[in-house]
Amino acid sequence: MDCVMQRILINKREIKVPLMANNDNILIQVKDLKIHFFTNEGTVQAVDGVTFDIRSGKTLCMVGESGCGKSVTARALLQIVHRPGKIVAGDIVLYRQKNQDQAEAINISKLEPKGHVIRSIRGKEISMIFQEPMTSLSPMYTVGNQIMETIRLHTGADKKQARGRTLEMLEFVGIPRPDRIIDEYPFRLSGGMRQRAMIAMALSCNPRLLIADEPTTALDVTTQAQIIDLMQSLQKDYDMGILFITHDLGVVAEIADNVAVMYLGNVVEYSDVRTIFHDPQHPYTQSLLRSIPKVTATREKLEVIRGMVPSPFRRPSGCPFHPRCTKAMPICSEVEPKTVSLTENHLVHCLLFDESAKKPAREMAS
Amino acid sequence: MTEQTPQSQLSSTSNSGKPLLEVKNLKMYFPIVKGIFGKISGYVKAADEVSFSIRSGETLGLVGESGCGKTTVGRCIVRAYKPTGGNIIYRRADETDVDLAKVDSKGLQAYRKDIRIIFQDPFSSLNPRMNVFEIISEVLRVNNLCSPKEMEYLVAQTMEQCGLRPEYMRRYPHAFSGGERQRIGIAHALVTSPRLVVCDEAVSGLDVSVRAQILNLMEDLRRDLNLTYLFISHDLSVIRHICDRVAVMYVGKLVELADANTLYTNPLHPYTESLMSAVPIPDPDLREYKNRIRLEGEVADPSNPPSGCYFHPRCRYAKDRCRTETPELRDLGNDHFVACHFADELELVGVRMA
Repeated sequence: MDCVMQRILINKREIKVPLMANNDNILIQVKDLKIHFFTNEGTVQAVDGVTFDIRSGKTLCMVGESGCGKSVTARALLQIVHRPGKIVAGDIVLYRQKNQDQAEAINISKLEPKGHVIRSIRGKEISMIFQEPMTSLSPMYTVGNQIMETIRLHTGADKKQARGRTLEMLEFVGIPRPDRIIDEYPFRLSGGMRQRAMIAMALSCNPRLLIADEPTTALDVTTQAQIIDLMQSLQKDYDMGILFITHDLGVVAEIADNVAVMYLGNVVEYSDVRTIFHDPQHPYTQSLLRSIPKVTATREKLEVIRGMVPSPFRRPSGCPFHPRCTKAMPICSEVEPKTVSLTENHLVHCLLFDESAKKPAREMAS
Repeated sequence: MTEQTPQSQLSSTSNSGKPLLEVKNLKMYFPIVKGIFGKISGYVKAADEVSFSIRSGETLGLVGESGCGKTTVGRCIVRAYKPTGGNIIYRRADETDVDLAKVDSKGLQAYRKDIRIIFQDPFSSLNPRMNVFEIISEVLRVNNLCSPKEMEYLVAQTMEQCGLRPEYMRRYPHAFSGGERQRIGIAHALVTSPRLVVCDEAVSGLDVSVRAQILNLMEDLRRDLNLTYLFISHDLSVIRHICDRVAVMYVGKLVELADANTLYTNPLHPYTESLMSAVPIPDPDLREYKNRIRLEGEVADPSNPPSGCYFHPRCRYAKDRCRTETPELRDLGNDHFVACHFADELELVGVRMA
């Protein structure tokens, strides 16, 4: 184990991040983030060089199949990657207002996971909604208690004020009879209600960035629609940035401004939502879009991506998607692709577009 | 698995003839037991007067929100539960009828191989202590359906059909990925050459790319083996993709049943309409055109349902009559069944066609 750690430390590159890059309302910038899991069976490169940024008032959707590293990336933003996982390289730069006319940049990836600084960020600047409302609320405390805890910790309000604010939040997220629900234990609430309570908790300190990790996957379509509506209206009111993680492309089409498609720890394509759905360039994005059954289309055979997501221990060489890719070239198994910028807001991680790597690639694609 | 002619053509020809299975006024009540003496204080009406039929060779979809009783109906049909009331008329291969709801557990053995079920969760539905051969062949062994020699051949053949390599027969479930496990689940259901397969959320736990593979596989198997599916799911896009006809359930009752195209484009029940409007459509350009119907409140409690039409507290068209009178499921022509008093008057909107 020691030697693995050592090697990574030597290879670690320092990236210079400009301190005052905040003219575009950038909330958080993630650069070349690498998270590895050091298990007994070997090292898993769960996130392998991910770069993106989130602006205030905008929604970034992260899509991908299970095991592509989307949840771990989100957790890294709060420094809650648990052992054996570790952020081995990269920067997560959070820009925040220090006082009236001074902004500051904090590199979250370098913070101590249990330190004082990150604890002032969690729940205040950045908060998170988890996938399963069943398991992410404590069964031992009432809903109100859990929300009040966040408020009292970050705002220093007394019990009475915190309770008032909690009632306000519960009403705000559309929970009926908040004065009764506040003293209920989570098991008494339905799935949709619990998720609303989670949202109320996450928003109680007016965060500037909300991370939602599959918040609607466990819910019914009608409840899902309610929650999505709620999140969108809240975003409008507070100019909040949202990082929305999902594997449901229908939901993506509904809420995203920008989309990052992930495959085995890499962002394979990044662009605005219209480009991703109407003009996708990466073969994975293209096949993914063709493999979903659509409610608007009549019955026809679905196009499938051959094979399955490989085991993280047996990561293919070169481009990790090449064994399943319909446009794979011989070079794909040898060279790891670089991220290529097609237009200003369209990044693709594929050798087809890497002119320096191969010239006849374009012809093969067409 | 090669490209074939469009499924819709095939299914329309096979739809003729008498139904393979007819469910009539099916009731499944679960008692609520209170106190140490087991006093029954009430009933959860998980399925209440549910009636529909499944034609031979078709795929019937059963949709609804969680807790609406769709799984209960599926389990009654495979007789994992003994229904409280009603009939499940099954048409045997020799064209005679039998009421599965009345048959006792011994008599059921004869039908265990005809009606099979595929479960949702490929991780918890396979016994981790049995290898794939044992899992798939269990039904053959228990019911004495074939000799041990044939068994191995039959299992290998079924595995191959389901896209699994027969060499992996002696492996244990943990060695397989989610998609492969679901294939094992399908092989487990198909090894007895069933006539009706109940698919209970069979693709809900799978990733997008694997889900497409499994859906295609199920479609191919249906055609090749002349299967009939009852496809239970909450995912309306999947249901649209695979089903010929669709039944919608709400709090234990069937509210609408129609041909899939009709139901999606021209729903007649307000609940179906709101379900349709809630489906996210994977096209960002349609975002602005959608006017979503927001359902107020929560799904009604099946142990204490509202009076009259169960949907009336959440229905935006509800009138006084809905509060007092329970609507019956009635035929509005063209095999379109609706349980709503005002189905003829309301003008409801379905899914926008692309």
